[in-house]
Amino acid sequence: MRSVHVETPGHVGKPPALAFAIWIKRLAAKLWLGIREWCGDSAYERYLQAPRTNSERSRLLTPAEFYVERVNRRYSRPNRCC
Amino acid sequence: MKRPISIVIWIVVALVGAGALGGIAVHRGEPLNATWFVVAAACCYLVAYRFYSAFIAARLLTLDDTRATPSERHDDGRDFVPTNKWILFGHHFAAIAGPGPLVGPTLAAQFGYLPGTLWLIAGAVFAGCVQDFIILFCSVRRDGKTLGEIAREEVSQRGGFIAQLAVLAIMVILLGVVALVIVNALKSSPWATFTLAATIPIALLLGLYLRFLRPGRVLEASFIGVALVLFVVVAGQWVADSPSWAHVFTLSGVTLAFALIAYGFAASALPVWLLLAPRDYLSAFIKAGAIFSLAAGILLVRPQVLMPPLTRFIDGSGPVFAGKIFPFCFITIACGAISGFHSLISSGTTPKMILRESHARFIGYGAMLMESFVGVMAMIAACAMTPGVYFAINSPASIVGATSDAAAATISSWGYPLQAQTMTDLARAVGEQTLLNRAGGAPSLAVGMAQIFSSTIGGPRLLSIWYHFAIMFEALFILTVLDAGTRVGRFMVQELGGRVWKPFARTGWWPGILISSALIVGAWGYFLYQGVVDPLGGINSLWPLFGISNQLLAAVALVVATTILLKMKRIRWIWLTLIPMAWLVIITMTASYQKIFDPNPRLGFLSYANALGAQIAGGKIPAAKIADTQRVIFNQRLDAAVTALLAAMIIVLIIEALMQWYRILSEDPQSVLQETAYVASGWPENFSGASYTATAAEPDAPAMEG
Repeated sequence: MRSVHVETPGHVGKPPALAFAIWIKRLAAKLWLGIREWCGDSAYERYLQAPRTNSERSRLLTPAEFYVERVNRRYSRPNRCC
Repeated sequence: MKRPISIVIWIVVALVGAGALGGIAVHRGEPLNATWFVVAAACCYLVAYRFYSAFIAARLLTLDDTRATPSERHDDGRDFVPTNKWILFGHHFAAIAGPGPLVGPTLAAQFGYLPGTLWLIAGAVFAGCVQDFIILFCSVRRDGKTLGEIAREEVSQRGGFIAQLAVLAIMVILLGVVALVIVNALKSSPWATFTLAATIPIALLLGLYLRFLRPGRVLEASFIGVALVLFVVVAGQWVADSPSWAHVFTLSGVTLAFALIAYGFAASALPVWLLLAPRDYLSAFIKAGAIFSLAAGILLVRPQVLMPPLTRFIDGSGPVFAGKIFPFCFITIACGAISGFHSLISSGTTPKMILRESHARFIGYGAMLMESFVGVMAMIAACAMTPGVYFAINSPASIVGATSDAAAATISSWGYPLQAQTMTDLARAVGEQTLLNRAGGAPSLAVGMAQIFSSTIGGPRLLSIWYHFAIMFEALFILTVLDAGTRVGRFMVQELGGRVWKPFARTGWWPGILISSALIVGAWGYFLYQGVVDPLGGINSLWPLFGISNQLLAAVALVVATTILLKMKRIRWIWLTLIPMAWLVIITMTASYQKIFDPNPRLGFLSYANALGAQIAGGKIPAAKIADTQRVIFNQRLDAAVTALLAAMIIVLIIEALMQWYRILSEDPQSVLQETAYVASGWPENFSGASYTATAAEPDAPAMEG
């Protein structure tokens, strides 16, 4: 099973200006990571995190192998519409 | 206290939406401001999402967040990846939004702004979104199976085969017609042709970068690519200004058609990482940027809608395409209101990545609402230009004439005043030799977009840059559909061929790759070529054919959805899919009948073929043109046969479904639901699918083993 992280409200109890700065920083980080996920930039990191058996773990793909395999799979079924 | 406030807010939203919609419907006389359209659409979408989709989620589908989705049960980091709902919404929207919602409404503007706008909103709310949402739900409950597989299991073996055949047919017709849209946008335009041609080496460069230099670093490669693409948009002006280079990139429709056919073959046969994937990354960023810019531009400029609510062409005599408002407004709008192709995405990648069942509502229903909004924006852009200019750009030379004077005289005689000089000035302002007879919707949409963008940034001086940016944006993502579709079509042909001779199905076997690529490219290339040489402009024949096939596939999806709902014992609410399905069957059957048998040669394929045959027999065709005319006659008969085949497929599927429905209602023990067994989700309630992102952004976040 995938390890799961849960967010904590880090700005609670801080002075308003600092809390706002933390909130903005978190928002920007989330936005950036969201864009990375949306365009597939973080796909390899996702792949490394996926749960797998010991035998699968011993044969992990390199970033280049993973990229080629990923685009081959992605473009072998309808993925762009009219 | 919260509840009364919420009730008041929703009553206000509903009243404002109804008021704006009513205003659009009854307004006559002075031009209407585009803000009315934006407000009407936004309020209708909000109310529909809040109430109608919630009703479907709760009563019809009973979404269950305690049930593990395929992404949890099969999480492999490749296909099955639990994904945050906002990110998956972005993925899904990028996949479903293609050229259809831009081109369809632009063409349908020939009936006036009213019918198209009403169908874009109502069609999406009651049909398109419902289809996308329910098919996504069905696929999530079946381990992410495809529409064809679901049809085979839930309707019948034959039903599944028909669904697969319909997908291949729509793919071929779609690729032919979108290629024709590009050809009509690029022909005799050195600026646009150079810009689009330059995106090919840029994509190759990005492909090599992503494969060897920085594997998988999509974001930085895309930034480089977008910067280069914007540079070549500007550089295209220098090419157009240089007599020698302009000559190289000034190509006829036939030459462009063959260039696209060669490109499609290369994109299908070459390694996917080299050309197809990097072009898709480029296209996704530019598509997102252009759509958001258009929305922002419309809100800032708030242009006047100059097209009347209804034009005289609702009687079927329109110059852009032939056919009455019923059924051709619905057939032409296609993807902006409901698209059968979406059911392939909803039963493809998205169900394998969805985190919770309840997200299907936001992603399935919500993304289609956004696509409909893109259609409304395209309608605004098309209707914001003078009607005379709109008809001059979108009508073929055989109807309005090939010169500015002839076009101005013809179009003015229809009651839409146009000066010949207006077209000459406009062509010069956007950096083109001519804007006349550019059927296909892309150039007129680009003019509309350029006028909106230049009113925000740059003024008239930048009109030509904005026009070519808009053409590049449309052509770039049409090319993406073309190469991605050709590749998928190649796999389908290989799969079908593999049933006859097994080695043909091996996707890495070069003879198989080359033969199947040639077959699929030859199929859509034939439709493209016949469109290019068609005296009526090609779009008149091919866009309705595409619309019919697309809407038929939507009917197939709704037949499958209705069957599943019956098996789920949701008989009381079956009208939610049954009514849109019946409506689609009625409009597609009517359109198919008229396209085949109508006595008007501009509308009916067979009557056009017969009229041309009579002209040859009567000696009215010069000897030098007899062979060409006979080819047009053959093409018309072929189009009639394809339309008849599509209609026959849906009739057979409906008969199959009716037999299955009878078995379900008579409680035949063999008609059972084929859902995967219930497995309880092990994820905590607040898990949003951002496991590693939380680690990266918040190193102090506590970790839980789910």
